[in-house]
Amino acid sequence: MSYSTFNRKQFDSMKEPMFFGENVNVARYDQQKHPIFEKLIEKQLSFFWRPEEVDLSSDRKDFQKLEEHEQHIFLSNLKYQTLLDSVQGRSPNVALLPIVSLPELETWIETWSFSETIHSRSYTHIIRNIVNDPTKIFDDITVNKEITKRADSVSVYYDRLIEMVSLYNTLGLGTHHVPEHGDIEISMRSLKKALYLTVASVNVLEAIRFYVSFACSFAFAERTLMEGNAKIIKLIARDEALHLTGTQHMLNLMASGKDDPEMAIIAQECKEEMRNIFVEAAEQEKDWASYLFKDGSMIGLNAQILGQYVEYITNVRMQAVGLDTAFETKHNPIPWINAWLVSDNVQVAPQEAEISSYLVGQIDNDLSESDFDDFDL
Amino acid sequence: MTTLTSNKPDKIRDKVHRVLLGKKQILVTEDEPLLVQLEREGIHVEYQCREGYCSSCSIKLLWGQVEYPFEPLAWVQSGYMLACCAIVKSDIEIAFFSD
Ligand code: FES
Ligand SMILES: [Fe+2]
Ligand SMILES: [Fe+2]
Repeated sequence: MSYSTFNRKQFDSMKEPMFFGENVNVARYDQQKHPIFEKLIEKQLSFFWRPEEVDLSSDRKDFQKLEEHEQHIFLSNLKYQTLLDSVQGRSPNVALLPIVSLPELETWIETWSFSETIHSRSYTHIIRNIVNDPTKIFDDITVNKEITKRADSVSVYYDRLIEMVSLYNTLGLGTHHVPEHGDIEISMRSLKKALYLTVASVNVLEAIRFYVSFACSFAFAERTLMEGNAKIIKLIARDEALHLTGTQHMLNLMASGKDDPEMAIIAQECKEEMRNIFVEAAEQEKDWASYLFKDGSMIGLNAQILGQYVEYITNVRMQAVGLDTAFETKHNPIPWINAWLVSDNVQVAPQEAEISSYLVGQIDNDLSESDFDDFDL
Repeated sequence: MTTLTSNKPDKIRDKVHRVLLGKKQILVTEDEPLLVQLEREGIHVEYQCREGYCSSCSIKLLWGQVEYPFEPLAWVQSGYMLACCAIVKSDIEIAFFSD
């Protein structure tokens, strides 16, 4: 079955599954099988922001004052986030658009992926503002071992699905021999399974892979350092929370069987593998924290605290897709981070450069003594 | 006039319900979502958006009734509730995911 950019068949799109039904033809939103995706689109559009609106001039001075090991933490996180958003700015489109069957979901995928490209553009904005030669930083992303290790795990499921769908579209069902890849079995079952695992893996990317980096950015800003960066990260975090809700809806709809009964069986079969994807990503993020702090910690954070935080949010995210929690950590070791992650007071007007300093004061006032128990000053 | 409006049943804003959490018991009203009222009692609940779209504040609802003034964007698992936007409508018992 080959892909058509305007499917000429007549069918009732309200009866199509989310994926692997008819190719979408008319982009219409007057009727929706899953109205949640239309609501996500509206919300994402209401979040629209441009990186250039955030003034980073004081970040440049701050960056020069950071100790060397702190610069390493800051730049490494930027590189890792750049990798993640490079993947996310294209992959939902490349992997999911050829197989999506609902107009509202198709447009959500495009809107989601578009917002990731804003994140990518914001990293260039930040890097340009703090260093003289951005090339050194960008070039390291494809060679730095700590980062490429992670690139493999975030892209493997996408790449597999893309390969299988392109075989399906050109050669149809059956077992096909691909040079260097061997025999690949293409059945509806194997395609749907590859899809489910891809969404599971993206869900984990959106759910936990950014959070070590977020925590470091906000820990700098707690010391009134790199506040322009923190403002951008707040905006990114708000978007990521919405993307996460998008993937959670896809997974939960699939598992419910209400969208496609066969998907419920596949979700059941893949439960263990989905769990492993969570745990493997959490372990990688903990390793990442150790790599960040290899030459020294920063005020308020160390590898151990960040590791506990990763375990904690992994538990929260697993529960949201109906999995049992994987880690013992029962409490958020850095509860102050939530005051930064909350989006209600995100403003982007450049003349409001003071706003985050104001926030720092406010957050400090809101914290009780016990919140600082884990905060090694 | 004033007496009339304040007597209307839907204007009664001071309904109080009990929230059981482990061995603790907290009194809450229907004026605000559960999250802020728990925080005021010094109970930390995980949150992020505080607007119903991220699911970070999802907690177990063991029994009792809650309502959402607007439909949250986040998926609500059965047996769970979103503390940031749910209004407590009866006595309830809750638990955190870890318990
Ligand atoms: S804090 Fe985001 S859904 Fe409640
Ligand atoms: Fe992103
Ligand atoms: Fe994202």
